[in-house]
Amino acid sequence: MKSRILRWSLAWTAALLLPAAAPARPAEVAADPHSHWAFQPLGRVAPPPPAPAGANPVDAFVLAELRPRGLELSPPADRRTLLRRVTLDLTGIPPTPEELADFLADSAPDAFARVVDRLLSSPRYGERWARHWLDLARYADSEGFKADETRPNAWRYRDYVIDAFNRDVPYDRFVREQIAGDELWPESPAAHVATGFNRHYPDESNARLLPRRRQEILNDLTDTVGSVFLGLTYECCRCHDHKYEPLTQRDYYRLQAFFAHTAAQDDTPLLPPAELRAYETKLAVWRERSRPIREAMDALLAPRRHELEKDYFDKYPDETRAILNKPAAERTPYEQQMAAKAAQYLDPASHQYVAPLKDVLARLKPAQRAKWDELQARLDELAPLHPGELPLGACMMDLGPVAPPTYVLNRGILESPGEEVEPGLFSLLWPAAVPARPPEGQATTGRRSALAAALTDPANPLVPRVMVNRLWQHHFGRGLAATPSDLGLHGEPPTHPALLDWLAGEFVRSGWSLKQMHRLILASRTYQQGGDYRASAAAVDPANHWLWHFPRQRLEGEAIRDSALAVAGRLNSRMGGPGIFPALPTGMPAPRGGWAVEREAAERDRRSIYIFVRRNARYPMFDAFDQPDAHESCPRRNVTTSPIQALTLLNDRLTLNWAQALAGRVLAAPGAADAAATAGRAFEFALGRPPDAAESATLQQFLTDQGRRIAARQARGETLALPTPLPTGTDPVAAAALVDVCHTLLNANEFVYAP
Amino acid sequence: MPPDSGLPHVRPARSRREFLQRAGGGFGALAFSYLLGLDGLGTPAGAAAAAPPTNPLAPRPPRFPARAKSVIWLFMEGGPSHVDLFDPKPELDRVAGQPLPASFGRPITSMGTGRNALMPSRRKWERHGESGLWVSDWYPQVAQHADDLCVIRSCWADGLNHVGSVCQMNTGDILAGRPALGAWTTYGLGSENSNLPAFVILTDASEVLGGPKNWSSGFLPAGYQGTAFRNDRTPIYHLAPPPGVGPEQQRGKLDLLANLNRQFNAAHPDDTELAARLNSYELAYRMQAAAPEAVDLAGETPATKKLYGLEEPQTEKFGANCLLARRLVERGVRFVQCYSGSGSGWDAHTDLEGNHSKYCRQTDQPIAGLLTDLKARGLLDTTLVIWGGEFGRTPFNEKGTGRDHNPWGFSVWMAGGGVRAGTVVGATDELGLRAVHEPVHVHDLHATILHLMGLDHERLTYLHNGRQERPTINSGNPVWSALA
Repeated sequence: MKSRILRWSLAWTAALLLPAAAPARPAEVAADPHSHWAFQPLGRVAPPPPAPAGANPVDAFVLAELRPRGLELSPPADRRTLLRRVTLDLTGIPPTPEELADFLADSAPDAFARVVDRLLSSPRYGERWARHWLDLARYADSEGFKADETRPNAWRYRDYVIDAFNRDVPYDRFVREQIAGDELWPESPAAHVATGFNRHYPDESNARLLPRRRQEILNDLTDTVGSVFLGLTYECCRCHDHKYEPLTQRDYYRLQAFFAHTAAQDDTPLLPPAELRAYETKLAVWRERSRPIREAMDALLAPRRHELEKDYFDKYPDETRAILNKPAAERTPYEQQMAAKAAQYLDPASHQYVAPLKDVLARLKPAQRAKWDELQARLDELAPLHPGELPLGACMMDLGPVAPPTYVLNRGILESPGEEVEPGLFSLLWPAAVPARPPEGQATTGRRSALAAALTDPANPLVPRVMVNRLWQHHFGRGLAATPSDLGLHGEPPTHPALLDWLAGEFVRSGWSLKQMHRLILASRTYQQGGDYRASAAAVDPANHWLWHFPRQRLEGEAIRDSALAVAGRLNSRMGGPGIFPALPTGMPAPRGGWAVEREAAERDRRSIYIFVRRNARYPMFDAFDQPDAHESCPRRNVTTSPIQALTLLNDRLTLNWAQALAGRVLAAPGAADAAATAGRAFEFALGRPPDAAESATLQQFLTDQGRRIAARQARGETLALPTPLPTGTDPVAAAALVDVCHTLLNANEFVYAP
Repeated sequence: MPPDSGLPHVRPARSRREFLQRAGGGFGALAFSYLLGLDGLGTPAGAAAAAPPTNPLAPRPPRFPARAKSVIWLFMEGGPSHVDLFDPKPELDRVAGQPLPASFGRPITSMGTGRNALMPSRRKWERHGESGLWVSDWYPQVAQHADDLCVIRSCWADGLNHVGSVCQMNTGDILAGRPALGAWTTYGLGSENSNLPAFVILTDASEVLGGPKNWSSGFLPAGYQGTAFRNDRTPIYHLAPPPGVGPEQQRGKLDLLANLNRQFNAAHPDDTELAARLNSYELAYRMQAAAPEAVDLAGETPATKKLYGLEEPQTEKFGANCLLARRLVERGVRFVQCYSGSGSGWDAHTDLEGNHSKYCRQTDQPIAGLLTDLKARGLLDTTLVIWGGEFGRTPFNEKGTGRDHNPWGFSVWMAGGGVRAGTVVGATDELGLRAVHEPVHVHDLHATILHLMGLDHERLTYLHNGRQERPTINSGNPVWSALA
């Protein structure tokens, strides 16, 4: 069974089953779960005194931990560093030279606060922070498993998240939309798209045992919702009570019961009701006019379709076939579940239909095909009457008002159901079942609305703590509690529990505004302090747990690519839409499921968040830089360093192209004087600061030496990598040396670390 | 850490004075100047040329004479069934269909199968070689090497589930965060080949459960982490500069980069990640020359390719990885892990027969080929080959046709470098559930591997958060009876 960290196993095994001669392991001590910090109600926490005049409360909490240890915050970071830090942090790309000049020239006391406001209102903010959320949502554009087929409308969820961050949708609303948007706001297309959160489970289109497949999907939803919103390792109690956490196996299935009647709805129309009615009216006209043609076409295709369908259908076990053969009205809720799963493959309207048109056409005899072409031509004539393609969402909905029963599965085995359970949260805090009733006029259970309400109840102690801890983690590289999806007894205890609680309280009081929390945290001296090493502080706190300096963070692969494109002046800021396919490394075969490189160059230069996420083949550059596997929720990325990363940034054609564009941009900038000054400008573009004296000397020397090497190559008639564009009259050798400076800068530690 | 250990331990500067002394060089710069020296290139302007060579990956002598120089770890991910491969249990066949006798207690397994009926092994067993080692008919080719193997039948581990157990087999602990054994080994011994990564991970399917945490450097300096090769057709992309960049031009850029990075890193002498990043470029540079040749199997003879099963679709993938492992070890790479069924392929909760038939088929010929080839090249004496999973499987059934996880007793075998060949160490009980004779915990196994590499697991230490951390945490002894 592929489950994640199951920490309990150690002590349990040790207690019961050690061979006699075994070395002893330290015993784990179980605390009283009732007194566990994360389960306590969120009380009002006051910042500790003495708060320095005008100090941000965040600093009061941090200083309260630093000072007793003889530590202090570092002096403030210089303004260039600070602007670079906050710009990368909030938008994932570095500041432009103009933004830097503006900030350096702005001596008003609120200059930094206005920078923060500017960045938070930039659409780049949503593109940056949505990526963090997509890691949690195990977002991908494909199915996974062997075939890894494309999910054509998954991207709408990605766009929804970007938009939600940009609009600062209150987090409680954001949670409700993702859990139960369809039930709560049935007329809002965005709310339907939001339910895609639960649609991102990996799926196997070739599964024959539908009951088992359904159970695996339900397990995925339970694990994901439990960890993302509640910060609890639910997956450990799928088979038995949690050995360390106060979670019972019953709790696992109580949470699962909220989703008992959900099913993928990949053809959810995404138009507001009035527009949808207008659309359908128009479509009805087209349907009526085209009916004879379409009927004739269907008649041609039907036998071939039937063959393919039957081939697939016959592979189901007898019980499943019996269910599918029943009239829909006679199916029990559980049978409706089976039928809906099969319909993903057997419904001609589904994008996963097993008899897609191209396969069926390939089976027609030539005469039939000619006939079909003729009909198609006639149908095309009616195209002006057609209202066009209806935007569809890949969503989750309930199949009806009555859910199939949910049982505690003994040892997690589907075939071994035990006690039936009602929907509920974890019983230590919420002993009673969470009542749910179908909303009026909707064919849905209302269970997820009830879950959404329970999660976003201001009295819920976990949901706000979990989320503010995630925010802190992305600002400082490490959460106040370092295991952000595990705030349970065996998660890492928070370094600053009072600060975490105070932030969680502020979060709720601010109306669950993420942007308000950013403002609050970023306004602190703790955030704005320098990042330099201090030997005396490091001797006391080498891991910087108490935040005596600002921790540098390696940029993610996505941010490295976006930053390089941005400083190269090539970043295409077009937002949204289906995933894009940039070039793969030379020699790499297209992965299963396909990778059709964008024809239009500008499309390849869009932000990384728009790059198609194929579950089984991560984009190699991101793979090298620790992008998580999209098969399960990832609360915190690895940060590794490898020669593979170096080879990627050094030798991928793309990186060189970006360097060429950066060089072209530098040359085109006004006032480019001699070569050294030009190289200095490249430095400013890439790193946001001019080179110091030593660096200038290094650059000067490099340009001379490298010029000699390049001239030798030129003399041998070898191709040079030149700036794009190359201004007329520019010496190609000097220009190629400038490209090399740019290329080096894009590889520099200073470029790939947020300061 | 004992002062005479010779380990490249880098601690943060403790005083302003020390900081200033080191600021011009530091960990990265020292390594860098060493590496430059190695390549016979000039020292760029501003480099700390006077610093002593403390390249973290410079080869270092072992503490005592090593029997093995390199490790090839064949990791059968998901948990191979010992009672169907190397640990025959006639008693299990006899009592098959009955529940586990009460005297065994009721083990808590990951899938709660402890009350299930015992399931017989459907294998045919034979003794092989002069040693008469038992190997089942799932591994006919491996069986031909019985006299090379030391089968430890009494392994046991702490975790019940994959992520924790794979993590422990690699790092000693079921919780992620500690250095992998490959990282400890390169920390202790450096690398014999500065042109290739010292610690390489090869996979044959999807991601190893737990991912890079299994080859992490943990709290050791970041430069010791393993490098995972890709498992599509090309192990490493980007091994040549892009069109328009000549080799000497690239070298010039790397010198500039090192220079800029060194100035940047000087302000952060505590951060081994920055230094590791600087080193990774130098390694990348040298890999361009060394790696294309190292990973190119085309030059191998048809006979060798056949030996590893490269001509058959079922064995091609794992066989290519085994062959690649040999080529890497031949070139001085210290520690290579070859995963079979990466992403928990061997995890036969149902249909043990189908699952293990498939994976044994995929690995039998390649493993046998590897042993034959290493021996023919005289490499087996200095290469420790390890075979095993993160745990074994239960004697009782799961869902009628499968077996559940069994961390209480399972088999791991070793061959080559210093191993007592043709022997069996330890024993499980008569049903194969628990190790009862000479139990070998993962820490013992790690201590043994390190011992064969010439390292003392208790003295190979690194100061972390005030504790002299060691690979085996707080327990473990070499399995003396497994040593030649």
